[in-house]
Amino acid sequence: MENLQMLFMGFSVVLTLENVLVTMLGAVLGLIVGAMPGIGSLAGVALLLPLTYKFNPTTAIIMLGSLYYANMYGGSFSAILLNIPGDSPAVMTALDGYPMATKRNRPGQALFTANMSSFIGGLIGMLILTFMGPLLADLGLKFGPAEMTALLLVAMTSIGWLVGENPTKGVVLTMVGILLASMGMDTLTGSPRYDFGNMYLLGGIPFTPFVIGAVGFSQVLKLMEERNKKVEAHINQKLTIKGSMLTLHDFRRLLPPAIRSGFMGTFVGVLPGAGATTGAFLGYAAQKAFKSEEPLGSGAIEGIASCEAANNAAAAGSFAPLLALGIPGSGTGAVLLGGLMMWGLNPGPLLFSTNPDFAWGLISSLFLANLLTLMIALGIIPFLIKILTVPVKMLIPIITVVCVVGGYSTSNSMYGVIIMFLSGLFGYILDRNGYGVAPMLLAFVLAPLLESNMRKAFIISHGSLGIFFEKPISAFLIIVLFAIILTPVVKFVLRKAGVLKK
Amino acid sequence: MQSKKITSKMVIPVVTAVIAALFIYLGITKYGFWHEVRGPLPGFFPTIIGFALLGLSVLAFLGGRKEEGTTYPIENWYPALGVIGIMLATLVIGMLPSLALFVILWLKVYEKYNWKTTLVGLAIIMAIVIGAFVMWLGVPFPKGLIYNLIAY
Repeated sequence: MENLQMLFMGFSVVLTLENVLVTMLGAVLGLIVGAMPGIGSLAGVALLLPLTYKFNPTTAIIMLGSLYYANMYGGSFSAILLNIPGDSPAVMTALDGYPMATKRNRPGQALFTANMSSFIGGLIGMLILTFMGPLLADLGLKFGPAEMTALLLVAMTSIGWLVGENPTKGVVLTMVGILLASMGMDTLTGSPRYDFGNMYLLGGIPFTPFVIGAVGFSQVLKLMEERNKKVEAHINQKLTIKGSMLTLHDFRRLLPPAIRSGFMGTFVGVLPGAGATTGAFLGYAAQKAFKSEEPLGSGAIEGIASCEAANNAAAAGSFAPLLALGIPGSGTGAVLLGGLMMWGLNPGPLLFSTNPDFAWGLISSLFLANLLTLMIALGIIPFLIKILTVPVKMLIPIITVVCVVGGYSTSNSMYGVIIMFLSGLFGYILDRNGYGVAPMLLAFVLAPLLESNMRKAFIISHGSLGIFFEKPISAFLIIVLFAIILTPVVKFVLRKAGVLKK
Repeated sequence: MQSKKITSKMVIPVVTAVIAALFIYLGITKYGFWHEVRGPLPGFFPTIIGFALLGLSVLAFLGGRKEEGTTYPIENWYPALGVIGIMLATLVIGMLPSLALFVILWLKVYEKYNWKTTLVGLAIIMAIVIGAFVMWLGVPFPKGLIYNLIAY
């Protein structure tokens, strides 16, 4: 009850004209930044940090919070409409979002699903943050290297096994993604590794050009086969918010995965370093265990809802360790923490007692930002869908230019363009041979975290595997891991033996 | 004995196996696997993953032998040639003019659009690039050899 009172107190701080306008500005800028391939929430928050200097600390951090939050919405726009994820969590959204927009000709509904799921996931995350924030932060601290290793192995393996039709191919690409991520600097010692004497490879392969190429540019190469396809007439007829609305049946399909992923995503967001990307991947992987009306990957509402709700919930969950313990859950969290410290605020257990107006004001502003972003995002759907009415012939040079510019802008060097180009060719060849690139991208993002945790676990245990079975959380996760790996194998053996029907 | 045609579905696992072998070799010989006191060394993790990839590549190769080969239409590679052209032209005339030139050539010469459509398309693309990336984000795009010769 006390938390509820404090939340209302937070709303009294937030609901001033200046703060509402600033939240709205943050929401609009976040949507734009999120939708732009190559920028992402970390760069977006960092770039817009100077804009907040003119505000008082509470207003400034409210703006950054809403910017970060809206970013999670924006990432799905380009993923759904162009198959270019705006940021790494949106990689999963593209799997079902793009087919739903193009093959099923329901672009408005795909965007609506993404926005509604983001809202629901975010709302669940915020409610949990409000009532259980400090408790969640403590739970997050129980995740040491062994638990994090087990969790990350579950995330990676499940995607490798579950995405696509061939589990072997999925796991092969998961391994390739991990090896590519290990190039550059060693995560623990900082010594050069697998750089092959190349100065640029010392810094490793940058993720953003890699994902723009593997997903976006490879899409351009595939689009060449559809160059002469005419724009579908019914897309033009649905350029209204009403035409983009979900039916009651659609909404019933959306709700269960969004709620499930909302809870799961919040928990993942609390874990140090796991973040929205892990949340989105786990949310999508978990959906495979539940019934979907259409197969995942073919434009299923359940697929979009599960990952979008999870990534927004994770974004909300990451505020728990940030505010209650002063531990940022992600790179963006670290920038937010820097912003807080710049204004003389020290997040930690005392923040809620020493600066309650600020702490609860920020949490309240997340509620407001979630609502405002939903309204803005739904309002611009008709304009966004117009992208799909552009003929494929015209889209090809547009997406090519966006890929080149996005690849360049992350590193301000042609190295980014070269990485984008090579990964585009690689992604195209893989796609033509039935290898989906999503597992590789997930593994690439999570590999440094997995490696550092695994090595720390082995250092603590002096090389003993027993560390993964000693504590209940890691032991449970290892059992889940084996279940994921063994289930398809057992099914295969049973089918061969004639016990299970094919 | 009937010889089986080599397809890219068989080549990909061979390539991943070679990558795995390279990472294992460098991991063990150059970066080190395990130290009695310090524990896992920089080569530890990539070597383990390398072994896993090697085993899986063999499985993928065996699976790939049963699958039909795929085709790569020559036309699909044109955008890749376009990006190579942009990268080379950037060295001489800079990135923004190269992008503009690519759009004009693609729309006018390859797609045979009329000048009006070509210029409208160009205006939209350049507005996004210049407005968002140059003016807002301040990305310093390369200006090329010719600009540098004139300016300095």
